[in-house]
Amino acid sequence: MLKIKNLHASVADKSILRGINLEIKPGEVHAIMGPNGSGKSTLASVIAGKEDYEVTDGEIFFEGEDINEFAPEERAHKGVFLSFQYPVEIPGVSVTNFMKTAINETRKAKGLEDMPAKDMLKLIREKAELLEIDRKFLSRSLNEGFSGGEKKRNEIFQMAMLEPKLAILDETDSGLDIDALRIVANGVNKLKNKDNAVLLITHYQRLLDYIVPDYVHVLYKGKIVKSGTKELAHELEAKGYDWIKEEVNI
Amino acid sequence: MDLKEKLISSFWAFENHQDEDSYLHKIRTEAIKSFEDKGFPSKKEEAWKYTSLNSILKNDYSVFPKQENAIEYNDVKKYFIHDIDTYKIVFIDGKYSSHLSQTTHDGMDICLMSSALTKPKYRILIENYFNKIAQNDSLTSLNTAFSSEGAYIHIPKNKMVAKPIQIIHLSTGNESAIMLQPRNLIVVDENSHLQIIERHQSLTDNPVLTNSVTEIFVNKRAIVDYYKIQNDNTNASLIDNSYINQKQGSICSVHTFAFGGKLTRNNLNFYQQGERINSTLKGITIIGDKQHVDHNTLVHHTEPNCESHQDYKGVYGENSTGVFNGQILVDKKAQKTNAFQSNKNILISDKATINTKPQLEIFADDVKCSHGCTIGQLDESALFYLRSRGIPEKEAKALLMYAFSNNVLNSVQIPEIKNRINKIIANKLGVDIGFDL
Amino acid sequence: MNKYTEDDLREELKTKEYEYGFYTDIESDTFPNGLNEDIVKAISIKKEEPQWMTDWRLEAFRTWKEMTEPDWANVNYKKPDFQGISYYSAPNKKPKYNSLDEVDPELLETFKKLGISLDEQKKLSGVAMDVVVDSVSVATTFKKTLGEKGIIFMSISEAIKEHPELVRKYIGTVVPQKDNFYAALNSAVFSDGSFCYIPKGVRCPMELSTYFRINQAGTGQFERTLVIADEGSYVSYLEGCTAPSRDENQLHAAVVELIALNDAEIKYSTVQNWYPGNAEGKGGVYNFVTKRGLCETNAKISWTQVETGSAVTWKYPSCILKGDNSVGEFYSIAVTNNFQQADTGTKMIHLGKNTKSTIISKGISAGKSQNSYRGLVKISPNADNARNFSQCDSLLMGNECGAHTFPYIEAKNKTARIEHEATTSKIGEDQIFYCNQRGINTEKAIALIVNGFSKDVLNKLPMEFAVEAQKLLEISLEGSVG
Ligand SMILES: Nc1ncnc2c1ncn2[C@@H]1O[C@H](COP(=O)(O)OP(=O)(O)O)[C@@H](O)[C@H]1O
Ligand SMILES: [Mg+2]
Repeated sequence: MLKIKNLHASVADKSILRGINLEIKPGEVHAIMGPNGSGKSTLASVIAGKEDYEVTDGEIFFEGEDINEFAPEERAHKGVFLSFQYPVEIPGVSVTNFMKTAINETRKAKGLEDMPAKDMLKLIREKAELLEIDRKFLSRSLNEGFSGGEKKRNEIFQMAMLEPKLAILDETDSGLDIDALRIVANGVNKLKNKDNAVLLITHYQRLLDYIVPDYVHVLYKGKIVKSGTKELAHELEAKGYDWIKEEVNI
Repeated sequence: MDLKEKLISSFWAFENHQDEDSYLHKIRTEAIKSFEDKGFPSKKEEAWKYTSLNSILKNDYSVFPKQENAIEYNDVKKYFIHDIDTYKIVFIDGKYSSHLSQTTHDGMDICLMSSALTKPKYRILIENYFNKIAQNDSLTSLNTAFSSEGAYIHIPKNKMVAKPIQIIHLSTGNESAIMLQPRNLIVVDENSHLQIIERHQSLTDNPVLTNSVTEIFVNKRAIVDYYKIQNDNTNASLIDNSYINQKQGSICSVHTFAFGGKLTRNNLNFYQQGERINSTLKGITIIGDKQHVDHNTLVHHTEPNCESHQDYKGVYGENSTGVFNGQILVDKKAQKTNAFQSNKNILISDKATINTKPQLEIFADDVKCSHGCTIGQLDESALFYLRSRGIPEKEAKALLMYAFSNNVLNSVQIPEIKNRINKIIANKLGVDIGFDL
Repeated sequence: MNKYTEDDLREELKTKEYEYGFYTDIESDTFPNGLNEDIVKAISIKKEEPQWMTDWRLEAFRTWKEMTEPDWANVNYKKPDFQGISYYSAPNKKPKYNSLDEVDPELLETFKKLGISLDEQKKLSGVAMDVVVDSVSVATTFKKTLGEKGIIFMSISEAIKEHPELVRKYIGTVVPQKDNFYAALNSAVFSDGSFCYIPKGVRCPMELSTYFRINQAGTGQFERTLVIADEGSYVSYLEGCTAPSRDENQLHAAVVELIALNDAEIKYSTVQNWYPGNAEGKGGVYNFVTKRGLCETNAKISWTQVETGSAVTWKYPSCILKGDNSVGEFYSIAVTNNFQQADTGTKMIHLGKNTKSTIISKGISAGKSQNSYRGLVKISPNADNARNFSQCDSLLMGNECGAHTFPYIEAKNKTARIEHEATTSKIGEDQIFYCNQRGINTEKAIALIVNGFSKDVLNKLPMEFAVEAQKLLEISLEGSVG
């Protein structure tokens, strides 16, 4: 589904990703861990097509297509979803209105008619229930005045609405209390099937207890320096990153 | 003869004795012509919409200081910040008082404008800085035409000036009415640090009109803190025209404490010329009687990544009038500007008036600019809370007013000034609040 | 060089006629250019007005002659030549086109985007209408419903003839003839406009919008509107039209007077989308309007405006809160793009006790435009417990435009509570990326964000108009992001 080859990227002339190789197949869950500043969010943004980041070398294939030249919204239409580490506030635009626009724009790109209002309402209700979101919440301005946890839950609600093929969750677990974490993880697991894939970016082992990854990668200084199974995550939890840094620096 | 005519004819009487080829002669004569053309500002001008000078222009002021008057330090000590060591530049009726002053030429110049304007060794500095940022509106022009005395301060590079400088203007009342036009020039070179305290004080009830102009150059990475204490007699009026030019990475703050005088007008202008400049303008106004205080500010952002903060608080009692006219101007080039302005006012009397006009003029898109302005009364529920804890109404009100204006003092760097201002506030509010900072 | 052509001769005769005094053929449908007392009289005669009206106009004209055009607003434009305008032109009865095929396709495209019906498109672009789509009959139905409630709604010309006592009592009471340069000009030469009277205790059963929309075409450049809501009545009045109107007139100087008697409420909504000039800043309407309302005890006046058109706008819908407990509101969205200039805002004059005012202004500037908010909140000494809240936000798109805020606040009463806030910001790159990531393209994202920014004001518009206004915002900003 996603194939990244020797990806180099920089922002403001500063090289951040330095040769990433990663392949994610349908049905898989991958986790990326790594110390702060190692480039995890950058990788997520580059896959989603953020224009500030310049791809200086390498390729990104999504479903066999080189997507490097695609606009962010085209990637979204193809099924790439990014749950932002820091979701942005859009004052005056309600969650419902935003979702309605997002869904209909995506449908339009696929040559489909707007979703009938009745179906839209039903879908919203269903997904809100899945994530235990209060209906009042949906008429509030997007992310404005939301608590950290509310923002993250709202991201996953949007994911549920859009049903992407590849969901990249950038530190969706940070800022969530245990209950919220369970709700979010439960939501992700319910949406998971053999045809879609998840890329989890996290600092903590605890999310991986709920969403079990098939592979765990360690990102350090813009490179994947170690890959393994979920055991690797346990090891990181126990020993921290220092041993990896040492290993790399040798 | 009205004041305008008197000023013009006195000017020529004086200037005819001067060297006609001199650099200053040209500046002065151009300035008097500019004043002659424009005359004193009237309410028809947008910038003077809310302040009329009529009532103070009708006195028969003597416009040149005639004689030297002496004062004993102990008689005026209370007008100084006397609990710390400072440099002092003191003027009595517009004439320099050497025995009250403490100046220096030791590695820097903290001295007199009259010597800077006449001695050859200052000539280059004067030609580079004098009258370079002062505008040519009528009042500034008038001052320029008469400019002969004031403070001259030049701090060379990399110098932390250890003691604050006090610039004090005293008037004795020996003349029945006097007009003073001090002219200050302050140049602070790269990486240097300077603190200044300025005060105008009349010692009798005879009318005084001061039309002051100060030019301040804050060069790269220099830091200047300026404190203006305005707590004069009810027959003394002050028009303060300050022009501040800031270069890259510099920090400048001006605090204006307006507690008195008949009419006070502060024209405070900041011109930023460089990146990463920080400008702070703060003010507390607490007045009563028929007093009138007008703060007219401008911050002109011309380059990227700069900041400005304006915070003015006012409490207006009796028949007093407050004016705040604040302008933030952001040029197209000045992207990533952060400019904030806040003006909060409390009216405590039926006859008091506040006119405020906070303006934003923005030509750059990637900026964060905001202004807020409120007019209101003391918070009734807070007042009730205090009274229910046994604090009498008057003290409770004073406490709340104190709290209202107090946060402006947070940025004051000299504890003795904070102290002094606190005492003046307590005094103005007519209570002993019983706290000491 | 000294060739004396026929054109020169004609030109000379025209000007000579002025020298020798009044000469205007009242039978002709268009008066010669220029303005003098005789032209003012002629307008009045042409409209078959009573003597008091003629005198009133003349008084206004004499005042106007002594006035100079104001220049304090933050706008730059070439001052109109007031002697170069024709001040009377009978409404054109002949259709301009025979079918929609003849109409500028760009105009039709915009109509389509706005979702305006075919019939209305015809009406608006001046295409001959079938008898079947009878707008007159629609109007008649309205008139009947309104008539049953005693509501008077007609053109001001008709009202001057049919209800002279009402017009005479109220005209010029809120905006006096000598109020300002343009108001004086309007008072002297106003062509037509609307008159509306809601009797005591009557709640007008419909938005006076559809009717107006059908009838507004051709009211000319000096429009005069007078709305009187008698005690305890209510009316919601909608002026303007979301459709772009390719008006040939460069100068528009309208006057609107609202009178809300005790316990009455008037809601006045405007959508202004006159020709803003082309992308290079050529052409476009100068819109210099005086709008003011007077509130008696417990009355309420609410102005809502969406201003997207005109090359130069100069407009400050105001409220005089004379009666105790009266309420004034001003909700405004002003969009400027390309070379447009807008200087708009409001005045809230608090005279009565416990009066309340709210100001929400949203300015959006794009292209090379300049957008200014100018407002006055005045609390007079007797206005105990007056309240005002103002919020002025500006959104800048691109770095060639400007956003300016000039609020004047004058308080002479210690019980006043005033809060004013203003912010300036731009649309964040990260906001756009966030929308993109959810599949929303940049143009749509901007529309969404602008709508969100303007929401507090859009919410105040009557429902069906809010939708159109939203689309209008989108269209006005088209091409403003590079
Ligand atoms: N827009 C940007 N401009 C400059 N530096 C950036 C930008 N975005 C990220 N960086 C830098 O890139 C590095 C990687 O950041 P990021 O991908 O956010 O790390 P992580 O998510 O792993 O904590 C950091 O050093 C960060 O400061
Ligand atoms: Mg990150």
